[in-house]
Amino acid sequence: MPVQADSVQRILYVEDDPDIRSVAELALVDVGGFEVLLCESGREALDSIDDFGPDLVLLDVMMPVMDGPETLQALRARQGGLDAPVVFMTARLQPSEVEEYLEMGAIGVIPKPFDPMTLAEQIRQLVSTNQGADRRDLR
Amino acid sequence: MSESKNTGDVSSRLAELRERFVVRATSDLLALEALASGFSRGGVDRAQLFDACQRLHRLAGSAGTFGLPELGESARALEKNLKAAVEQADQDGVDPVPVSGDVIQRMVALRSMLQGRGQQGPLSASSRKESTSPDGVHGLRIGVAVITDGADGGAMAPLRNDLEAYGFDCRLVSGSDQAVEAALRDWGVGAMVLLCDESRMEAVAAIRGSINGTDGGCLSLIALGPEDSFHSRYQVAGLGADAFFCHPPNLPELTERIEYLALERTAKVQGRVAIVEDDTELAEHYALVLKTAGIEVCSVTDPMELMGQLSSFQPDIVLMDVQLGRFSGETLARMVRFYPQWLSLPIIYLSSEDDPDNQLTALSRGADEFLVKPVSDSYLVRAVQIRCFRARQLSRLMNRDSLTGLLKHSLIKQEVEKELARCRREGHESCVVMVDLDHFKSINDTWGHPFGDTVIRTLANFLRNRLRETDMIGRYGGEEFLVVLPRCTQEAAAELFREIAEGFSQLTFTSGPETFHVTLSAGVSAVGHHGSGEQAVEAADQALYLRKKAGRNGVTVYGMPGTTS
Repeated sequence: MPVQADSVQRILYVEDDPDIRSVAELALVDVGGFEVLLCESGREALDSIDDFGPDLVLLDVMMPVMDGPETLQALRARQGGLDAPVVFMTARLQPSEVEEYLEMGAIGVIPKPFDPMTLAEQIRQLVSTNQGADRRDLR
Repeated sequence: MSESKNTGDVSSRLAELRERFVVRATSDLLALEALASGFSRGGVDRAQLFDACQRLHRLAGSAGTFGLPELGESARALEKNLKAAVEQADQDGVDPVPVSGDVIQRMVALRSMLQGRGQQGPLSASSRKESTSPDGVHGLRIGVAVITDGADGGAMAPLRNDLEAYGFDCRLVSGSDQAVEAALRDWGVGAMVLLCDESRMEAVAAIRGSINGTDGGCLSLIALGPEDSFHSRYQVAGLGADAFFCHPPNLPELTERIEYLALERTAKVQGRVAIVEDDTELAEHYALVLKTAGIEVCSVTDPMELMGQLSSFQPDIVLMDVQLGRFSGETLARMVRFYPQWLSLPIIYLSSEDDPDNQLTALSRGADEFLVKPVSDSYLVRAVQIRCFRARQLSRLMNRDSLTGLLKHSLIKQEVEKELARCRREGHESCVVMVDLDHFKSINDTWGHPFGDTVIRTLANFLRNRLRETDMIGRYGGEEFLVVLPRCTQEAAAELFREIAEGFSQLTFTSGPETFHVTLSAGVSAVGHHGSGEQAVEAADQALYLRKKAGRNGVTVYGMPGTTS
C-alpha cells in the first residue's frame, strides 16, 4: 500500500511515559498539525485503534507489559491486520536494532530524545521517503 | 501575528512541560542517588541494577527532549556502564555484580546536572524562558567568596568556617587582583556573593564590574569595615557595595543578607500578570509584549470568567481595562476584593483617563494604580516588572517566618493540602516530613535564646541548601519544621533525611570557647495514604514522636517503626 506524505493525518501514538506523551502531543498536534490519539499501553492501542483509524502508528519500543514490537505483532494479529505504516521510537539506537525493526516492517526508527520542534517533520520525511518504495512486506 | 502567537503558545507550553519533567526527573534522580549510595564497591544486587538501568534509560530517552541533553547523555553512558558490568559479571559467573566507584560517583553527581539547568541550552530554538519558584533559593547552593590579602586569610579567615556551617559554599580567595578575578571566573556557581575588607573595596568592585559585565551580573558585593561611621558607609556605597557590615559581623544578620542578595540576583521569573481586556487585539498585543520579556500572562476577555481564571492562574498583579463592554472595571475590581484571598492583589487600571481627579475616584474604589493608555511597550514591561517584584516582596513578607524566611505555619499546612490534591489527581506519591531539633530546650537554657535562634536559622539554611527547588519548607512551631516533598517515595524521603540528619549532626556550633553539636529527629508520612493533609501531618508527627522515644537523631517512617537509624 503506497503511502502519500500528505495522506498521513491521523497518528496513533503509544508511549508509557506521561511526560513524553504530553510533549509529543504538542509536537505532533500544535507544531505538526496532525490529529493524534495518545495511548499509554499496547493494550489501550488495541482497544482504540479501530475507532480511531490511524494513517500511521508511532510506537515506543521500551514499555512495560507489552513492548513496542509486541504491540506491533498484536496489532497485526487482529482481524483485518494493520494497514497503517509503523514508526518506532527508541532511546537505544544500535544499527542492529534499527535493522531488526525495519525487517519487522517499520518504515523508520526515530531516536530518542527527539526534538519537539522537528518531530512532525521527521515523520513526514520518513513517510515521503517510503512513498512508492516497494514495501510489500509492510503488512 | 497569529503565527507568532502560535509559536509563543507552543514555547510556553513546552516550558510548562519542561517544568513538569524536571519534577519527575528529580524523583528519578533522587532514587538513583539513593540506589547508588547503597551500592558498595564489593558488589550490587542485580534487581537494584535493573531498577537503576530502567531509570537511566528513561532519562536517556527523554532529558534531551526537555532541553537537558547533557543529563540525557550522562544517563545513557551510565546505563551502558551498568549493563556492561552485568554482562561481565554474567560471563565471569560473579554475583553480586561489581560496580566501579567512579560509576557510583557519577550516578550520585547526576542530580547536580539538573540543578544547574538554568545555565544550560534552551529547550529548542523557539523557547527561551523557564519559570522557577520566585520565593525561595533552595535547590541552589550559594557560593560566597571571602577575599583576603594573605593566603592565611588574616582577620577574614574565621568567616569561612562560620559561613560553611550555615550551608554556604564558602571559599577564601587571595592574591593579586588578576588572581582573584581568575579564581572567581573559574568557580562558576549559580549565585555568588563577594565579601571583602573595606580597604580593598575599590579593586574588588572593579573586578566585580568586569565579571558582571560579561556574565549578566549575578555577583553581589558586601564590604566589611573596622568602624561603623557615616563616612565609611557612604564611601563603600559610592563604590557600589550592596551591603556593609562592621567587623566582626553579626553572623545571623550577615547570612540573612547573603541569602537575600542571592535570591534577588537569581530571581529569573519576572512575574505573572492577568490582563482583563475585552479588546482581543489589544489584549494579544499586551500579552505578546509581556511574554517576550519573560512575564507569564493570562488573558481574560470575558469578565464572567475572571474569578475562575484568577484562581487557576494565581497572578501577582492584574491589569484591568476600565470599561469592558457592559462591565465596569471599577466594579469588577471591587468584586475581586470580596474574596479574602485577593484582598492584597494589586489591580492596575489600564485607561485613557488622564484627569487626575477621575483617576483618584477610581483608585478609591478598589484599584491600586493607573497606567494611562497608550503605553509604550517598554514602559508597559518595566511598569509590570516593578509592580510584580514589589507584590512578591510584599507577599514574601506576609507569608514568611521572619527568623528563618521559611513559610509560616498556616501556609505550609495549605501546601500539604494542595499536594494531597495533586497526588490524588496525578497518582504520584509525595511525603511530608516533620523535623524537630533534639534537646532544644537545654540548648536555649544553656546558651541563651539568641543562640537558640542561630541553631534554628542554621537548620533552616541547611534544609534550603539540601532540598530541591520544588520542595516546600515551613516553620511549623518553635523548633519544628514541616517539609513537603512532592513526587518522592517514603523510602527516598527517609534516605534523604537520614543524610540530612547526619550532615546536620556534624556541624560544629561555637559559643565562646566551647563547641558542641546538635542533632535532629524526623518523622515521615506519605501524603496520599491519609484522608486529609492534617492527618498526614499528624502521622508524620507520630512518627517523629516514635523517633524521639527510640533515641532521637534519625528518621522514622509512619507505619514502619523499624525503619529507624
